[in-house]
Amino acid sequence: MSRIFGIDLGTTNSLIAVMEQGAPRVFAEPSAGNALLPSVVALRPDGAAEVGSAAIALETNGDANAIVVRSVKRYMGLGGADLAEEDRRRYAFDTAGAVVRFQAGARAYTPSQISAAILRELKRRAEAVLGGEKVERVVITVPAYFNDGQRQATRDAGRLAGLEVVRLVNEPTAASLAYGLEKAAEGQSAAEGKIAVYDFGGGTFDISILNIKGGIFEVLATNGDTHLGGDDIDRALVEWMLGGIPADRESWTAARAAAEAAKRALSTESTTATRVELKDRTIAKNINRAELEAIAAPFVDRTIACCERALADAGLTPSQIDAVVLVGGSTRMPLVRRRVVACFGREPLASLDPDEVVARGAAVQAGVLMGTQGDMLLLDVVPLSLGIETMGGVMERLIHRNTTIPTSTTDNFTTAVDNQTHVDIHVLQGERELASDCRSLARFKLGPLAPQPAGLPRIEVTFLVDANGILNVTARDERSGQEHSVDVKPSYGLTDDEIERMLEESIDLGEEDIEQRLLIIARNDAQQIMTALRKQLKDYAGLIEAGERARMEALAAELEVARDGVDRERIAHLVEVLNEVSTPFAERIMDQALRSAVEKHTLEQIS
Amino acid sequence: MVRCPSCARLQEPRLICSECAAPLACNLDCFAALGLARKLQIDQRLLEQAYHDLGRRLHPDRFANAPAKLRDLSLRATALLTRAYRTLREPVNRGLYWLELNGRKLAENNQVPAELAAIVFAAQEELSELRAAGSRYEVEGVAVEAMAVIERQGQVMRMLEGLAGELEANFMAFDRIEAQPSEELFNELKRILSAMAYLTTLTRDIAKALDRRAAA
Repeated sequence: MSRIFGIDLGTTNSLIAVMEQGAPRVFAEPSAGNALLPSVVALRPDGAAEVGSAAIALETNGDANAIVVRSVKRYMGLGGADLAEEDRRRYAFDTAGAVVRFQAGARAYTPSQISAAILRELKRRAEAVLGGEKVERVVITVPAYFNDGQRQATRDAGRLAGLEVVRLVNEPTAASLAYGLEKAAEGQSAAEGKIAVYDFGGGTFDISILNIKGGIFEVLATNGDTHLGGDDIDRALVEWMLGGIPADRESWTAARAAAEAAKRALSTESTTATRVELKDRTIAKNINRAELEAIAAPFVDRTIACCERALADAGLTPSQIDAVVLVGGSTRMPLVRRRVVACFGREPLASLDPDEVVARGAAVQAGVLMGTQGDMLLLDVVPLSLGIETMGGVMERLIHRNTTIPTSTTDNFTTAVDNQTHVDIHVLQGERELASDCRSLARFKLGPLAPQPAGLPRIEVTFLVDANGILNVTARDERSGQEHSVDVKPSYGLTDDEIERMLEESIDLGEEDIEQRLLIIARNDAQQIMTALRKQLKDYAGLIEAGERARMEALAAELEVARDGVDRERIAHLVEVLNEVSTPFAERIMDQALRSAVEKHTLEQIS
Repeated sequence: MVRCPSCARLQEPRLICSECAAPLACNLDCFAALGLARKLQIDQRLLEQAYHDLGRRLHPDRFANAPAKLRDLSLRATALLTRAYRTLREPVNRGLYWLELNGRKLAENNQVPAELAAIVFAAQEELSELRAAGSRYEVEGVAVEAMAVIERQGQVMRMLEGLAGELEANFMAFDRIEAQPSEELFNELKRILSAMAYLTTLTRDIAKALDRRAAA
């Protein structure tokens, strides 16, 4: 079977890694050498998509035709009602359906589709480095606090990218695996004990408390906030920079970049300058670390509150924690470090690169699934209670938060009226008392039932949360023992049919279309060089040496034929050869131009 | 006796096939699932060891490359194992399960056990006074109402500790008996569990009220 790869699909950056000779290997972009792929996607009106630095380039160049989406992870599993004012200001949304869609020209894309573009890019990168091996099976990480809908959306993204998502792993747990593996290299007992993983990324915050013993990584409690991250600090900083002045989309984009740069600078410097170019003016302000910390403090305070709740759920005091691991770029802020030390009473471990540790952990889990990691085992938990809506709009909890997964519970249902054909179950997730305050996961319809008096049917429903943290519901008629069909309508997700349709529709963001786009680029290159060469052959006929013209014209003719075909590699090869062959000619043209420029200059100077 | 769906070997119901080590998601009680005798006194370390050993062999992560049928079985077997561990690990849950296993139920009518009534009512009064009070008047930074509640919390915790000891004694009594346990023993168990449930709820309410004050 093919190797399983580990993917960190982050809010700000994404990475892909795989186990090789007992250690995780992170894949860097061959040309750029950077392992971090910015989770930025640019959607073009012609249907093509750019990911990473190419997308950022489009954003900086202010290409009005490209819709550049940042931090798409924050929109996974959301419905229209979940969008905040600031979200609507940044992007145009289509909220007609259950799932939000980003409007780009005439088309609209779900966050899963956009995330799929990122996943496809990571797949391409790893395949380019490996040369021959295909990436088919993956482990993808998700914030521990992601609810069911957000997890489903992530799995959907994998499917849309043509990947088999073997497992979703919680980010802090993945980080603990990477940490455990590192420590194991030092000796078994070094990896044992209770650890706290503080994961503060671009868009989400998670705190997980684990017990590591004999290769078993058991999560005791987890807490967090899926809308709390470095992005929020950036946003607050932009507000501060603008000082109440409203900015349009363009200047806000520039301001955000300036804010992020200033925030990073202040991690090492004590003061820095910021600058925002608006349409009618420029705002330039200096900011020092104390001022930034005042702006960032409320957000960091919230993370510490989550830590305290997690400790309480785990039944532990901070002194009982043996080690604290920091994950995520936002943990580079000195303020964060100070608050973590204050909360846990010890210095955090930062020997692992906070940007890569989650991807490495994902690779380790991939190894566990392949059976190459010996006795390592992950026992994770469901982060939020699951339950059903009962009479009076109350949330009845069936599975409590921090219950180890997989876990299952059964409940019995019956009918309320005579000859009722179906039983409806509304499944919710959350910690509040009222169903309306919790998150609706899905509505299940059991049946059809044979006509019977009210109260007679006995349907046993099993709620199973699998190892991905996703709910599965099965139903059984207790009397007949027969399985009931359960029709699931997810509240914030794509149904299987919708996904199938998306896969069938050749919407852009498909691999075939990436090939198509690369072909178009190659053809453009070919056209450019042929047009330029034709012009040069005409204008500088005198500079051509014997035999050169025949050669160049023959190559150009071949290139013309290739350009009309679909062999992208052949086109690229011919372009290269033609370039080489015409270089001496081009150099002569250059020399001549330079000489005449110098002559003219000298003449002018003298006169 | 059950037959393993993977290798067809006939055996006593258990979570893992003795022949081929495939998961065998049977309808087992919590003790059988963990391979433990039906005894109420449990060594925590042995319990955890059994849980970890079985978990290592049964967990779905071990069957990622296996055919769908085995994957499904491992998922169900592990869910069963997890529930068994959770149930037996904590003495109160264990006691409640014991009643269920023996066909007894804890009274559903939610009446306050007589001997606790006075304490619970007094505590509720103190709590409402605490909620009503702002920070009316304080002695060394602590509101007078809060002091009463804090003391009450201490009393409740001590009572819970006492009850935990009674629970252990009850477990010991059950384990000592060879034949059918008497109805008295079951009633005693019910009494202890009922009292613990009440006091635990009370202690949570008190903690929440004190927390709110600290946050205010």
